[in-house]
Amino acid sequence: MGVIDRPFRGATDSQVRSLLAGGVQFDRGGVGGGDSGPAEETLGGAVRLPGGIAMPVQIERVLGFGRSFSFWPLLFGLACCAIEMMALGGSRFDMSRFGMEAMRASPRQADGMIVAGWCSVKMAPRVVRLYEQIPDPKWVLAMGSCAISGNIWDTYNIVQGVDSLIPVDVYVPGCPPRPEALWQGLEMIRERIKQSRHAYDGLRRIPARETLTAGEAAAPAKPAAQAGVGR
Amino acid sequence: MKVWSTPPTLEAAAAALERRFGDRVLERLEFRGELTCVVAPADWVELLCFCKDAPELAFDQLECLLGDHLPERVATPFEVVAHLLSHAHGHRLRVKTSLAEGQALETITGLWPSAGFDERETWEMFGVVFAGHPDLRRLLTTDDFEGFPLRKDFPLQGTVGGRIRTDLRGRI
Repeated sequence: MGVIDRPFRGATDSQVRSLLAGGVQFDRGGVGGGDSGPAEETLGGAVRLPGGIAMPVQIERVLGFGRSFSFWPLLFGLACCAIEMMALGGSRFDMSRFGMEAMRASPRQADGMIVAGWCSVKMAPRVVRLYEQIPDPKWVLAMGSCAISGNIWDTYNIVQGVDSLIPVDVYVPGCPPRPEALWQGLEMIRERIKQSRHAYDGLRRIPARETLTAGEAAAPAKPAAQAGVGR
Repeated sequence: MKVWSTPPTLEAAAAALERRFGDRVLERLEFRGELTCVVAPADWVELLCFCKDAPELAFDQLECLLGDHLPERVATPFEVVAHLLSHAHGHRLRVKTSLAEGQALETITGLWPSAGFDERETWEMFGVVFAGHPDLRRLLTTDDFEGFPLRKDFPLQGTVGGRIRTDLRGRI
């Protein structure tokens, strides 16, 4: 069976059945494949599927293309930046034009989260928990100076940047950022979705858990319930 | 031109307080039609109880209860302030008391149950202990926080006193 040089849409019924039968193997970037020309390189290379099907683009690119038009953030605001986020959701800026209007109230249905505002030390475990409840793939946008670095709140109860808790994809600075700035940040998220890029690429772990484990290793005498993240 | 004036019902309320407590109201301040009474910690509950029950006063709502740290007052650096509102008369009253370091104040959760959270926060931020409070736990900071952040000698910078708890799985 020869290589079919056409996208999934033009495949025959039997080829679709064999594709859906599972066990899809990816051959990314044309590495090791003799039939990947320059045109396929720019598209990400051919994907060989069982049954001899070859798709000229990576299937993740196709999925990412689709996902990028319906990025549903978690309905979740920590502080005043959330007001600007609401403005973006409202009719003047209207992020529903880009398929982002469906802010999900449950992390189980969300594609990512916008950490809008400062995160207090008491809120930090909740933020980590919400992040962990979002199914993969997920993207995180840190909105505003407080979420990025703690801003002026170098005080007793503010986390100095949520990237010490969870991996952050896009940082949108400002105090608070204008809705247009958040919009641009979300466009950058969409670019990352199209490219299937994540902040946790190659890591698959979150900083909070990592630091927690490091803290336990550093102080084994501490009881487990007390082993928090020292800051 | 006098823009602010004391409401007549509040004048009657002040007179009733004067009759009942006399010199035990240590100080009486009026500012822009707002009345403030200062009492000793020993009279705290009795005066607030009178404020709630007396028909001339009828303060049925505790608007807020807060603390204050004034380190320049060496003997009694802490202050607890209660703001009262009467829906029947539409007037307000502020009651203050001064406390020394480590001196406990009796709780007023028996008068207004809403004082529970306010007293918890006052204890958490200033270290003022409320005797008889049913559940005096930390409210805004983590359980293992050390120190009282709104005291003037608390460090302004740096994440001190608390830790980020990611290990409280299932408990949050």
